[in-house]
Amino acid sequence: MSEPRTVGIGQMAVCHAPEQIVCLGLGSCVAIILYDPVARIGGVVHVLLPKSPVKCDNEEKYADTGTRKLVKEMLNHGVKKERLVAKLVGGAQMFPNLNLAIANIGRENSMTVRNVLRELMIRIVAEDLGGNRGRSAYFNTSDGHVTVKTAFEPVKVL
Amino acid sequence: MTDEKAGKVLEVIMEFANIGAGSAATALSSLMDVELMNEVTSCNILPMSKVSDWLGGADKIVAGTYTYLCGDLKSGILVVLPKKSAATLLEHLTKEKVDLAALTEIQKSALKEVGNICLCWYLIAVSKMIDIDMIPAPPDATVDMLGAVLDIPLATLAQKVDTVLAVHTCFKGIDEEFEGYFLMLPEESTLKLILERMAGPRG
Repeated sequence: MSEPRTVGIGQMAVCHAPEQIVCLGLGSCVAIILYDPVARIGGVVHVLLPKSPVKCDNEEKYADTGTRKLVKEMLNHGVKKERLVAKLVGGAQMFPNLNLAIANIGRENSMTVRNVLRELMIRIVAEDLGGNRGRSAYFNTSDGHVTVKTAFEPVKVL
Repeated sequence: MTDEKAGKVLEVIMEFANIGAGSAATALSSLMDVELMNEVTSCNILPMSKVSDWLGGADKIVAGTYTYLCGDLKSGILVVLPKKSAATLLEHLTKEKVDLAALTEIQKSALKEVGNICLCWYLIAVSKMIDIDMIPAPPDATVDMLGAVLDIPLATLAQKVDTVLAVHTCFKGIDEEFEGYFLMLPEESTLKLILERMAGPRG
């Protein structure tokens, strides 16, 4: 199998089976992972902030515009919207004792993504969100499985 | 900005960070009872997505203490220790065996406090140099993947920009195996302020 595609903060990737897409070290960021199991096409966007300003420089950085852009990009690749399912990973609160408004941005990111997906009528089939731990997500576009690794806890498969 | 001018900016910022890191390393070295050597500061202007790669990889486990300056100077600032050095530090301070996966309350608090002391010494030194008071928020610490530790510091800057200036100064034990680094992520307006002050009669 070829090298997995790594998707960093504010980046997006759409791949065909059997490629793998990886997001490393998600803290308050959220990885939105979409999959069409029939076309076997998967897409990931790694968002950092919840809502984009009106004039937006980088749509992939924000939960709202990033999710919409990913769906659009996947439709361009020939997926059917009715078949798309979503898995969400990240949205942790890394510094719970930090007395700054931004400390809980992970929760806002998660809520924004959920709302946008509901609007677009895309079903969330699994999620590993919140808590105080960083996560890495390994997405296999052959079967749609997402393996979630954390620093010290056992591996989960979504 | 021309290349020449950008080079000059980086030079000034590196001098600024060297002074801060020198002072912080002195504090850390007396806490730890080891002699520390500051290595040269390196600066880089890079996209958000590349910051953790530049620092060694997003999934590398580190102990990070973070605070944000919210006075006239706006900047994120962190002390980052690799796993092994974090354990060495905590074992030295608490005199008990340390499991980074399950830190006790005392150990967590020690980690935060050491970070706090280092960051304050960093800030006292640079604040004197440019004659601006710095107001840090109370810091918080965690042991986790580097990428996750950097999310909040980057999110703070990302509301305005896509590229950041990262200022990195590492330190190393001279005889003992102990290392880590200070990381400053200033906002653009702060960068300007630092440059002005450093170029003035005080600089």
